[in-house]
Amino acid sequence: MSAGAPVRDVVVVGGGLAGWSAAAALKRRVPSLRVTILPIAQPADALTDRIACTLPSIRGFHADLGIGEEDAVLRTGSSYRLGTSFAGWAESQPDYVHAYGPHGAAVSGQSFHLHWTRAARDGGASPFDEFSAAATLARLGRFAPGDRDPRDPLAGHEYGLTLNLAAYASMLRAFAQHCGVIEQPRGLRAVRLRDDGWIDALELEDGSEQRAHLFLDCTGPAALLRSTIDDTRDDWRRWLPCDRVLFGTTPSAEAPSPLDRVTAWEAGWLWSAATPGGCGVVYASAQADDEAAERLLSVGGATPIGTPVAIAAGNRIEPWRGNCVAIGEAATVIEPLEWTNLHLAHSAIDRLIAMLPDQNCAPVEAADYNRQHIAEAERVRDFVALHYAAAKRPEPFWRGCAAADLPDSLAHTLSLFRERGRLPFYQEDTFDRDSWLAVLIGQGELPRRVDPLVEAVPAAESREFMARWQRAIAAAVPSRPTLAAYLGAQHRRLAR
Amino acid sequence: MAGGEKVRVVVIGGGTAGWMTAAALTKLLPHACDVHLIESEAIGIVGVGEATLPQIRGFNARLSIDEAEFMARTRATFKLGIEFRDWGKPGDSYFHPFGTFGRGYGAVDFHHYWARLRAAGVAVPPIETFSYACTMARQNRFAPPASDPRDLRSTMGYAYQFDALLFAPYLRTLAEELGARRTEGMVVAVDRDGESGDIKAVALASGERIEGDLFVDCSGFRALLIGETMDEPFQDWSPWLPCDRAVAMPCRTETALTPYTGVIAMPGGWRWRIPLQNRTGNGYVYASAFTDDDTAARALESVVEGKAIARPRVLRFRAGRRERSWVGNCVAIGLASGFLEPLESTSLYLVQAAITALIELFPERRVSRVDRDEFNRVIDVEYDRIRDFLILHYHATTRSDSPFWDYVRTMPIPDSLAEKIALFRSCGRVMKHREGVFLDASWIAVYTGQGILPGGYDPRADLPVADTLIEGLQALRGEIGARVAEAPTHSDYIKRFCRMAEAA
Repeated sequence: MSAGAPVRDVVVVGGGLAGWSAAAALKRRVPSLRVTILPIAQPADALTDRIACTLPSIRGFHADLGIGEEDAVLRTGSSYRLGTSFAGWAESQPDYVHAYGPHGAAVSGQSFHLHWTRAARDGGASPFDEFSAAATLARLGRFAPGDRDPRDPLAGHEYGLTLNLAAYASMLRAFAQHCGVIEQPRGLRAVRLRDDGWIDALELEDGSEQRAHLFLDCTGPAALLRSTIDDTRDDWRRWLPCDRVLFGTTPSAEAPSPLDRVTAWEAGWLWSAATPGGCGVVYASAQADDEAAERLLSVGGATPIGTPVAIAAGNRIEPWRGNCVAIGEAATVIEPLEWTNLHLAHSAIDRLIAMLPDQNCAPVEAADYNRQHIAEAERVRDFVALHYAAAKRPEPFWRGCAAADLPDSLAHTLSLFRERGRLPFYQEDTFDRDSWLAVLIGQGELPRRVDPLVEAVPAAESREFMARWQRAIAAAVPSRPTLAAYLGAQHRRLAR
Repeated sequence: MAGGEKVRVVVIGGGTAGWMTAAALTKLLPHACDVHLIESEAIGIVGVGEATLPQIRGFNARLSIDEAEFMARTRATFKLGIEFRDWGKPGDSYFHPFGTFGRGYGAVDFHHYWARLRAAGVAVPPIETFSYACTMARQNRFAPPASDPRDLRSTMGYAYQFDALLFAPYLRTLAEELGARRTEGMVVAVDRDGESGDIKAVALASGERIEGDLFVDCSGFRALLIGETMDEPFQDWSPWLPCDRAVAMPCRTETALTPYTGVIAMPGGWRWRIPLQNRTGNGYVYASAFTDDDTAARALESVVEGKAIARPRVLRFRAGRRERSWVGNCVAIGLASGFLEPLESTSLYLVQAAITALIELFPERRVSRVDRDEFNRVIDVEYDRIRDFLILHYHATTRSDSPFWDYVRTMPIPDSLAEKIALFRSCGRVMKHREGVFLDASWIAVYTGQGILPGGYDPRADLPVADTLIEGLQALRGEIGARVAEAPTHSDYIKRFCRMAEAA
């Protein structure tokens, strides 16, 4: 097969974080491209632009672009987050923290959690998250980057950011422009297709046309470009029961915290993130009306922002078709639990850059992209759905969740874990084993039996290791600054 | 222990698979199982000299096997990869290394830069000249890899070539020291539970009856339990992999001791050349539909490079695998579970993968469905990916010198492979396979070595200025040459490190 001419012109449609991230990354990492963005306003249901909490992957995305933390975090008034505290998800279980780092360390070659399982079965284990240095720091409001010194007991974890959304979006826009992204501040009137389903041109509101070799649809769930070609989506609503979000603001600025809180209630969950994050309620409209959600917010002292937003969970199985690639929520619509919306956009951008086609946009290349996209999105879906499947609450909504059918891959994961504490490997899993364990064990799932490989290690040896690990964490944590102090020091350094 | 009584494991068959299984179980799960292996000296072992993959080192390490002692005992040599001769067309030679091309890091894989220069009409040498492992192998040298990932010498891996007939007894000693029981005897009947269909016991010709909770079928091609007893269907892959015979004939090692396996295409298939310290294994793999046994034996005799040690011996097989390798309380490991011709030295790897999965999913006395499902899921992936990789070797050729090559060149191939090839041709990308045994460099080696060249490449490979890139590649080759020149010859290294006791 002869190679086509290289792609030179890329048009990105969408003026939210997904669009600006895509434009900046393409131009920065493949400077030979001419990247034009149509920064049309994001609709209210684009969660990516409304959720302040982000996963650790955002830091790698910044690093690849050469955006330092001074610009991304300090100058935007953003903050750091080590994880999420989950409350009320399983009756009779204490709150648990999902932080981004290891729990303990392997003992005699066997994963720590298998040793913990044996101790728990014997009736004597401290909560699992107490063996996570990051979770312990987070509970105490302290912060350490975790990636500096491998000999440090508090190393090995990662952290995400809590974005000051408006300032961060401005920074990203300025960065993209600085890199040479061309801003085309015109509205989109129509998408004109060729007979073969490729995009011929975008018709703009001023009557002009925008052509390109490759079109990126970053317009949110409506997928204004991609949906004109076809709208085939895999419907996930039967596995992800919440279909509405009501956003809120809290009246006064709290002290910075590295931990956001996610609390289950009778028909969904609510969150509150420390400044500059926000809060909100996510719920199933079949089980709770919008007034109930508003009441819930106001009980916590928050004020609703606008009207509730509908979420139709689902995944486009061909986000890339012809010369059009749907990025972020234009490809995958999923509720905000575990903060995956911006992550999925970043991951799609990285994947596209690694798979940038020539002008032929060969279907075999798009198929490979789409295959990876599906694998990734479905595992994110599984991880989010896990929180519902493993929840233990008495209300009808939660009883329904516990009884619902699961996607095969999640059913297999759950049954293998429940049987013997192992986790099957799947390609493109966003969340590593420690994340799965944090939620599974945090919500009270205890494997039925102890793995035989762990039985080879004397129980006393496991217990001794566990005690040592806890002591090491306890000894190291007090020397770490509070997040407020850490941020303060960084800001002072920046001011010098 | 919490899980109750020990699981009684009965291993049927004392070949390499059987003793690898017994040794691993007794070493790693001594408190969880009792291992009883049944073998009959009346049944031969298929082992014809084994070329392995680097994963075998992990297996040996888990069993605390000392490398030098193991190599001396099995008359082993080091293996840096495979040289393929005459595959794309007669006269060709390319190398599939255990290692990377280039330095093996960076956002854009090395072969995209190589493809870019080719596309620009620059006379770039073959990609193997940019591999430390290939270059060392071509010069018959060997030195173990460096551990610092910044060091060029960390970009190689290695495996062994050893005498399979000596490996099984070596493991037997180990397993028996660790408490494995061995019974000599022929299985004449299998007793199953009327309700569950699980195997309860096997009866031996001696009249002895051996009960167990878990039965591991290492009976080789016969598949005594998984096939004859459990009747698990066999997926036949011979339309894609038509070779069903091999004739083997060892000879003395008289030529240079190569740190690699030779795989040479023949009119009716291909032949292997596996150099051990004292002798060289030779064999011709062919399809009985196209070549008869005598023709194959004569063809092999005429090309071996040393004095023959034994008469040609014919082996029969069929490519494919059981639908499920673990059925009820019966796990098939090795040839009983499936067979893929030894073109890429995968047979012991598949044994090892099954043992690893069995240990990680080791059951209670009553087998749980979940463990079994996960085991089968993991093993299926291994088999299917190796299958595609093997078929690629036959499909990617212009050979038209025999009906055999006409068939394999033009046969329909699995869609999964067709897509992989199309993707590489289109943009030089290797489909991502984190779970599979063969990683990017392996696919790149075979694609480019057999004439499947990328039409496009990663646009980011265009970023460096051409002259800078060319200088960089020249510097890389210079460094590879310098580092390889520092390594001892393969023979010298072996003499110093792991010389075998003089052959009996």
